[in-house]
Amino acid sequence: MLVGAFACAHTPQLIARPETEDRELVLRVHAAFARVRRRLEMLRPDAIAVVAGDHVEAFFLDAVPALAVYAGADAAGTFGPYEYRFPVHEPLARAVVEQGIERGFDLLYTQRARLDYAFFVPLHFTMPAPAVPIVPLHVNVYLPPQPTPRRCHAWGQALGEILGARAERVVLMASGGMSHYPGTDRYASPDFEWDRRILDTLRDGRGAELAAVTGEELDKAGNVELRTWITVLGAVGGAKAEIYCYEPSWHHGNAVVEWQV
Amino acid sequence: MNQTHYRFPPASAYLLNRCLYALKSDDAFRARFLADAKAAMAEHGLDAEAQAALLAADRDALVARGAHPYLVFMADLRVRMARGTGTFEYF
Repeated sequence: MLVGAFACAHTPQLIARPETEDRELVLRVHAAFARVRRRLEMLRPDAIAVVAGDHVEAFFLDAVPALAVYAGADAAGTFGPYEYRFPVHEPLARAVVEQGIERGFDLLYTQRARLDYAFFVPLHFTMPAPAVPIVPLHVNVYLPPQPTPRRCHAWGQALGEILGARAERVVLMASGGMSHYPGTDRYASPDFEWDRRILDTLRDGRGAELAAVTGEELDKAGNVELRTWITVLGAVGGAKAEIYCYEPSWHHGNAVVEWQV
Repeated sequence: MNQTHYRFPPASAYLLNRCLYALKSDDAFRARFLADAKAAMAEHGLDAEAQAALLAADRDALVARGAHPYLVFMADLRVRMARGTGTFEYF
């Protein structure tokens, strides 16, 4: 059953803070992560299904999947001085692959691919004690052509049904967003107004509207990663979002959000 | 799809993107690059112009050649982290 849903920023400056970053802002986002961690301890999930966009770490141009499921015994990666490894909830991962395919989603699955920091950063701050296994779910956000928001939303609806029918208590966590433009000349001017408009929509429980946003609009608004949120929105239906924080830095709209399901 | 920030990576830039990917994600390659950048770039078969753009960390020139902006961004960040330039607070 689905017992909770969250969305968390994962910008690397939250974990490895250069002197360019406002320390107090970073700590405020950490405080929001700590709230998620306390909520996870209350929700007692058997697994956390993390929906994140691989930053061209596991999947380079040699093979670019739109949607992928990590279905190995564990999933590991590194980022700078961090080396991490999480057990994968294998029965759940396998159910997602098998039933996802059955439902018409032509998923890639992997039993051994690097786990990007997009998965690691939120888990580093929010993993409850004792730690629980994960199911990493990749959505291609950076290598065009990405899956459409409508497809992401449909995948999320399927995920909600697949996870909802399971006996295990499962939390869905989207990792990514909001507005940022890494590597482009817009890096220092994110579209915070667009972010705030989206957060209002989510607060009202109208997240399904995001299925109709176009890929071009996400790219324009610096929100290619919002595909991970839109996936989770497919599973949470009309639940209203509680905004734990929205912290605009000089280059990034950092948001942490919960949907009670 | 008419996306302005992240575009379909042209096949002509495959080697350049592969070199940026290695700088970002391959610790051993990054160490070789820091020791001898020209030799490291030659491993990936970069031509002289691509080598010059990468050595100068010239983002605009790299992107104009088809480099993926995110790879340019993170390769540069990881090189700076490895060089120890700037200070990082690790949480």
